[in-house]
Amino acid sequence: MKLEGSYIINASKEEVWLAMNNPEILQASIPGCESLEKLSETQFTAIVKAKIGPVKASFTGEVSLENLNPPHSYTLTGEGKGGLAGFASGAADITLSEHDEGTELQYEVEAQVGGKIAQIGSRLVGGAAKKLSDQFFRRFAAAINGEEENPE
Amino acid sequence: MPDTGNLTTGGIGDAVQRKEDFRFLTGRGTYTDDINRMGQTHAVFVRSPHAHAKIKSVDTSAASQASGVVGILTGADMVADEVGSLICGWNVVDRHGEGHKAPPHPPLAHDTVKHVGDQVAVVIAETLAEAQAAAELVDVDYEVLAANVDTASAMSGPEIHPEAPGNLCYDWILGEEATVDAALANSAHVTELDIVNNRLVPNPMEPRAAIGEYDMATGEYTCFSTSQNPHVLRLILCAFVLGIPETKLKVIAPDVGGGFGSKIFCYAEETTCVWASKKVGRPVKWTSTRSEAFLTDAHGRDHVSHVKLGIDADGKFTALKVETIANMGAYLSTFASSVPTYLYATLLAGQYTTPVIFCNTKAVFTNTVAVDAYRGAGRPEATFVVERIVESAARELGVDPAELRRKNFIQPDQFPYETPVALTYDTGNYEASLDKAMSMIDYAGFPARRATSEANGKRRGIGISAYIEACGIAPSAVVGSLGAGVGLWESAQVRFNATGTVTVFTGSHSHGQGHETAFAQLASTKLGIPFENVEVVHGDTSKVPMGMGTYGSRSLAVGGSAIDRACDKIIEKGKKIAAHLLEAAVEDIEFADGNFTVAGTDKAKAMGEVVFTAYVPHNYPEGVEPGMDETAFYDPGNFTYPAGTHIAEVEIDEATGVTEIVDWVAVDDFGNIINPMIVEGQVHGGIAQGVGQALLEGTVYDPESGQLVTGSYMDYCMPRADDLPSFRVDMTTTACTHNPLGVKGCGEAGAIAAPAALINAITHATGTMTVEMPATSERVWRALQENN
Amino acid sequence: MQNFDYHKPNSVDDAVNHMKSSDDGKFLAGGMTMLPTMKQGLAAPKDLIDLVGVGLNGITENSGSLVIGAMTTHADVASNATVRSKLPALADLAEGIGDRQVRAKGTIGGSISNNDPAADYPAALVALGATVKTNTREIPAGDFFVDMFETALAEEEIVVSVSFPTTAQAAYAKFPNPASRYAMVGVFVANGPDGARVAVTGAGSSVFRVSAMESALDGGFSSGSLDGISVPADDLNSDIHASPEYRAHLVSVMAMRAVDACS
Repeated sequence: MKLEGSYIINASKEEVWLAMNNPEILQASIPGCESLEKLSETQFTAIVKAKIGPVKASFTGEVSLENLNPPHSYTLTGEGKGGLAGFASGAADITLSEHDEGTELQYEVEAQVGGKIAQIGSRLVGGAAKKLSDQFFRRFAAAINGEEENPE
Repeated sequence: MPDTGNLTTGGIGDAVQRKEDFRFLTGRGTYTDDINRMGQTHAVFVRSPHAHAKIKSVDTSAASQASGVVGILTGADMVADEVGSLICGWNVVDRHGEGHKAPPHPPLAHDTVKHVGDQVAVVIAETLAEAQAAAELVDVDYEVLAANVDTASAMSGPEIHPEAPGNLCYDWILGEEATVDAALANSAHVTELDIVNNRLVPNPMEPRAAIGEYDMATGEYTCFSTSQNPHVLRLILCAFVLGIPETKLKVIAPDVGGGFGSKIFCYAEETTCVWASKKVGRPVKWTSTRSEAFLTDAHGRDHVSHVKLGIDADGKFTALKVETIANMGAYLSTFASSVPTYLYATLLAGQYTTPVIFCNTKAVFTNTVAVDAYRGAGRPEATFVVERIVESAARELGVDPAELRRKNFIQPDQFPYETPVALTYDTGNYEASLDKAMSMIDYAGFPARRATSEANGKRRGIGISAYIEACGIAPSAVVGSLGAGVGLWESAQVRFNATGTVTVFTGSHSHGQGHETAFAQLASTKLGIPFENVEVVHGDTSKVPMGMGTYGSRSLAVGGSAIDRACDKIIEKGKKIAAHLLEAAVEDIEFADGNFTVAGTDKAKAMGEVVFTAYVPHNYPEGVEPGMDETAFYDPGNFTYPAGTHIAEVEIDEATGVTEIVDWVAVDDFGNIINPMIVEGQVHGGIAQGVGQALLEGTVYDPESGQLVTGSYMDYCMPRADDLPSFRVDMTTTACTHNPLGVKGCGEAGAIAAPAALINAITHATGTMTVEMPATSERVWRALQENN
Repeated sequence: MQNFDYHKPNSVDDAVNHMKSSDDGKFLAGGMTMLPTMKQGLAAPKDLIDLVGVGLNGITENSGSLVIGAMTTHADVASNATVRSKLPALADLAEGIGDRQVRAKGTIGGSISNNDPAADYPAALVALGATVKTNTREIPAGDFFVDMFETALAEEEIVVSVSFPTTAQAAYAKFPNPASRYAMVGVFVANGPDGARVAVTGAGSSVFRVSAMESALDGGFSSGSLDGISVPADDLNSDIHASPEYRAHLVSVMAMRAVDACS
């Protein structure tokens, strides 16, 4: 499935770009991210506890930064295995552009789920992906703006 | 001894209640999962979550340390043991004279996985919970490959098997294309239609299950399995997959809770359980979860077709051209190749005199579970093509669809009728069933009913489906010449016990059809003994002579005929014994109503007396063997051709697009009837399944990821009682000319007839050429928008 | 399903204490969502705290409102004489939830705490202006439902009861998903002292009100007033059963049917 949207962040493109490459900010932004360990400048291993309603699954996998074009754009990809729940993967193309109020962050996410969550939860997958993706960018924008976003 | 000679209940033609229903309705059936063997272990399969991936590694180290684990086996273990590939038993030869592509189908994948749910490993543990927990610890590392799930575009998608370039299993034809093209070019009118026959998940109430057991003392295996054809399963397991002598494998299919075709096939799971039982030295049991059933039971249908029907100025059909792409799934299942070819194209004449017909079927591989026979198997797809295009042609020409059909029907005096697609219909009267159905539904009164509906904001439509099927599958010589790897005769053994009760052993298999009742009625009438005195035994290869099982509406026409023949042998032998007892010539002995009599006299011996004499042969004819136990194998001379007309009437809520089926009449010609109640039940069930296909059931794989999106009842919609009207069912009868019972078979008719009737009714209401199946409320609503 | 510890407290306080002392606990109401999820291996709480014995069952009438205990089953709401006479739309809604087995076990408290985007009750609570009473506070329905599967409840907070004003004419029109029979679109319309309320479930990520319809109905409470008023499709759910456009269309149709059924 595809998702897209944009956020206005009250910071310069360079500041946003630095944040986009900061593991601490990434970890704080990824909903349910319990750990993000650096393998290289652009590769991380992650443990994410996803919680959607009654479903609670722990995904372990990799997060990586690709197609780096500082300070304009990159692709943030992630894939994780969730045991019985199945797997989830996604790639977000993120583009920065200058804006009157700072920087506009535009994203296009291509996400896939597989295994049991795809087999029995199809009516909820779209909504859940949208919710998680909104949470990510909202927290990300908040982190750069120096705001406290309530973790959920 | 019970009273003999009372044939008013339980003989042929009586609507006697089913013997088996007491145990089924009170929860006393014995299904495979009810069986527990001494020392039994439990198997859980590790399945691919990906539609298409390379297996980089399978790490079982953590799982093998888990509590209760007895063994973990992988594809590599199967390779080491030289376990064979699961086979397809019907070789379809393509238009270039080459056999179909049947790429390897390892029961446990060891190299690549090709659909979501493909088996990678099996975890065997003391308890089911321990097996489940350990299965979660098996770590499979995959390299995900691009998935290819869409039927229409499969040939241009990512390649699935190196053995099948372009994902083409075969490119098959029936008929002469040039002749048909020329006839179409010369036709006054040509109607064209794109037709999708939606993919279905079978959903029998009982999921598949298996227990494999190995007896180290005798070297003998036992496989308890939810099979529709235990002997065929034994044959495949022994001769092709596991290399066990047939003397060393016993297959038992106990009570089986529905199959609809999906339990014909030899699957990976029972194969694995049998193989693993020797590896771990303990019985191994597996019962499918409903989620696994969605992922791994062979699905049905899944055709995409382009169809052209030519019509001359008088409204006579001149030619039919059908080009179909049929989805085989990831592997070629047991009989998959025959379904969109010999069980499909051969029925494209329908009830009509269309002189020339051409069919091209391209079978394609996709990253979906295998597609194989599902109630009707090819014939629902053929009926849908024919009855949709005929209905559409009538609407284009502005003629009454009933009249266009009537004008093109094969007439009663034309039988036996040789169609241009390789079948010879033995008998029928198509106009009789059409007339009866039209009268039952008050076809003439439809315009008035439509006006009333329109005044209430409803659209009303009426749709006809005049179907035919070839069933009673079938003549071995014919199917053999078409590529079948087996004969399709049937066996029966009729054993009188000394006290006059009868055990009938049949090679067919009941998984809901009511064999225990119908076959008892048959033997009761034929032998003149009480219905209660007959027991029917089936489903155990160690008890029953080799038989071919139940599918293709064949049990009565083929298996019943075998029983009839075995009874004939009993009667012939009885005549010899009776002649001796009555001191008369064998030629003078007549048999009727359970009594042997000397012609023209009142001298008689009852069957019971004769049987007792056969087992206590103190006073016995010379040269006659003792005992009364006869076996017959029956191989029919032709298929049977049940046919009829179903008419559906619907009302559609204009605001929402919701379709309500307001009336349904079915007039079927099944030849002679053994038990009208069972027949009516079969018709009801078949229509319900057909309505499910047309209105509710649709299988969706995500086009990008190849995930099965309709993998549970949250999203896969099975018909419920309140989706269905009260069906009105009636019969016309032309007796089958070539089997001793004059019967044709009724198990699939409803599922064959129903989808076209319903979609014809819905499109009649919407005024559009088509509404795709399942005709969901949104699709119907959009059709109404399109037409407004 | 993984092993878990089962607790059956006999008071709300006791239940809360169990939850506080667990590092991975879940409250269990009717279990109609929780148990299938656990059986599928999609949730594996260490502690399951069953609320069946904490005394939250029952329906009482209380000066212009109906108070329904959180553990009251759908079947009890559907068949209760007081609900039938004072708020028949709510009884009808309860009668249309799931199937007979689900209605016999599923509870109003469990349903609203779960806040499935296609559940029926949220529409009734929002349209009727109900108040959710928890062990710590009272929350107006409009603030209770936050987003899909998300409510205003804190981790250790338990719904005690729901109080429905009985002063409105009301009706619920549901378009069920043919497979699951959850609401593909469900519209609850109420017309009370505070004016018309139109609450929609199944169509969006969570229950929402349609103010354009409400003001149109305030101008004249008849289905004709809704003619031509639709909700934008952009943010509506999309799945294999219905596109956002069709859901938007159904919202209008179901709203009109609910208004017609109010009389």
